Amino acid sequence: MAQAGKGRLNYRCPSCFMRDLDIDMFYDKDKDEYFCIRCQYRGNEADVLEKNQLARFRYGAMMRRFTDFEDFSQEGGKT
Amino acid sequence: MDQFIVNIIHRPEMVPEYAEKVTGQGKAEDIGRKALLTESLDIFKTQQEIAHKNGLKTTIQMTYASLFNDEAVVLAKEHHEKYGDEIALSLLGLPCEQFREKYKTKDFCIWMFSMEDKKAIVRDVFGKFYERFGFYPESTGSYYMDADLINFVKAEYPSVKCAVATCWEEGPKAYHTCNNSWYTLMDGGPWAPWIPSKQNTHAPAANETEDSGIVAIPHLSRDLLACYDGNGSNFGTHPQNVLRGMIYDSDTWEYPYLYNLIDQYRYLAKFNNGYAYNMMFVGPGWMNKMGRWEAPYELLKKSYEDGCAYYGKLKKEGKLLDMTMSEFADFYRQKKHYTEPECALWRDILYGSDKQIFWYCDPYMRACVNMDQGGAIVDLRPYAAKLEWPVGIGTKHVQDASYPFLIQEKYRAGYFTHYAGEGTVRSAKICHNGEEVDLCLCRTKAHFSEENGVRALTLDPVEIEFADLTVKLQSVISFPEGTGDIKIERKVLAMSDPAAEVTINEYMVACYGTTEYPEDMTSLKLAVEAGDKSASIDYEYKCREASAAGAEAVSCVLPPIETKVSMTCEGRDKVGFIREGYAFSPMFTLGYQGTLKEKEVFTTWLRLEKAD
Repeated sequence: MAQAGKGRLNYRCPSCFMRDLDIDMFYDKDKDEYFCIRCQYRGNEADVLEKNQLARFRYGAMMRRFTDFEDFSQEGGKT
Repeated sequence: MDQFIVNIIHRPEMVPEYAEKVTGQGKAEDIGRKALLTESLDIFKTQQEIAHKNGLKTTIQMTYASLFNDEAVVLAKEHHEKYGDEIALSLLGLPCEQFREKYKTKDFCIWMFSMEDKKAIVRDVFGKFYERFGFYPESTGSYYMDADLINFVKAEYPSVKCAVATCWEEGPKAYHTCNNSWYTLMDGGPWAPWIPSKQNTHAPAANETEDSGIVAIPHLSRDLLACYDGNGSNFGTHPQNVLRGMIYDSDTWEYPYLYNLIDQYRYLAKFNNGYAYNMMFVGPGWMNKMGRWEAPYELLKKSYEDGCAYYGKLKKEGKLLDMTMSEFADFYRQKKHYTEPECALWRDILYGSDKQIFWYCDPYMRACVNMDQGGAIVDLRPYAAKLEWPVGIGTKHVQDASYPFLIQEKYRAGYFTHYAGEGTVRSAKICHNGEEVDLCLCRTKAHFSEENGVRALTLDPVEIEFADLTVKLQSVISFPEGTGDIKIERKVLAMSDPAAEVTINEYMVACYGTTEYPEDMTSLKLAVEAGDKSASIDYEYKCREASAAGAEAVSCVLPPIETKVSMTCEGRDKVGFIREGYAFSPMFTLGYQGTLKEKEVFTTWLRLEKAD
């Protein structure tokens, strides 16, 4: 088995990202999977993208455009 | 009319800090790689082009490495002539073959070098700049510049009047996010421009004597709520921050958060006499063709184009003034006076929590009030001490440049602790018939006002429900300018039983430190001043207490941070108390207990001073 390298993009571990850790993953081309050297996560690109989407759950107002910064009549992430 | 100032700053780093590590993966280190140098310069050119296309002038912070590059020097001169860009000098971007050969080290953060090396490097870099341009720069900077470094630069090169001097709340949180490998430990500073004191960069100067002679600006304008809780590098006006935080729609590549962040900064003019500030300071490393993190090059470029386009649009609408750093320094000196605080009533614009906090910064303190915890003070830095804290090799703090806290709710717990002990917070408890309610659990909102030099937060009243009594209580938190005091009034607006009486316990749990880990508390001295009933406790982790009816003051002196913190009180039946902590709760508590009836007010003052 050859050594791991970098994949197409520099994906970070989605599991570590969710605990505020930025860890670059390495890519195993034989298995077509990314893996984290800090935690136990491994997955292919599709899985990484899916988990990255999951990591956004906490950004409840990510897509809201705020027009007032003291008006709390609209709740949280509602647009 | 409000004035919103923006500084756009580019640095032609020839060997970006992380580009070599990321793009060079799988290759032996070679910081002289031609491809790396060429790409870095190309990215710098692209960034300049994007800013100029949107009608924005920039400050070009030449790096040491770029001073050896003829093309970078010519480009800077051209852009100065054509666009009015300022040619400045960064103390970032030191790494290059010439530097490594001369200084025999891979260190690259100017504040971490020994003072001897700092002086040698500054003279070298400024000398090289003069050699290439024929004048000395008016602006400089790094992620952090310690007071000794600033004082030296100002003494040797009096032309310098502006510097990037800290990165807001980049400390243990950023260190952890980088798997404990990124040593920028510089929590506890201002988030907006300030005049650093000669004693400590983070602590603003209170007068001309303390004035270091420069106007400091922070590295990036950061989200004052998200950065305090999470990784600072995800939540700032550097578009890469927003991408790093994955705060964008991965299908449409939209990121309204970036514009919300800029707009909330614009909104801060309301609390600062019509002035607000933003800065965007980027190097080339993040915008390389291989992409950065999950973001492909196209998204990286788009984010910078969009960011500059938004600033450009605001400028066209007359809502923004773009300045170079040195222009801004002149503006700032005209606009602000020494004791004038920086205030920021800030709301969550990302998580949808509706949380609201208030940051206050002046030469005597930096404080954070959390409305989601009933107006509790959850962060407090005693700038009044003007703590001299040399950093770098050969000092006690090789990397740790943070200004110490008395209260830090994330590192030393706040209201909530796990089953035992206490966390740092300044709050109050209301008690009745054996029931106790902490205001930390009373979520509310605040309204800002300013009158006769006093900035005040008036909180919406909260209702406290006991088994047989409901109390409607309002808090007003005031910051009289130039005093180092915080005044807190608790007013009982109404009670379900107008004849009832409640007990109030105003308290502050504190300690000191710059990280999550406890410090040695044994030199601390607690005191309650009450004439012949006065008492004191020398800290020995023995869980002792003392109190006195009618106490004039309660206090704690913390020799390691040369700080005295005290409380005084006006209120019925007041009893001052002090509490020592213990090994599992290495804190101290100061406070006053008293009683309140309907329409009555209980007032306390928290005072920060330099300890003798």
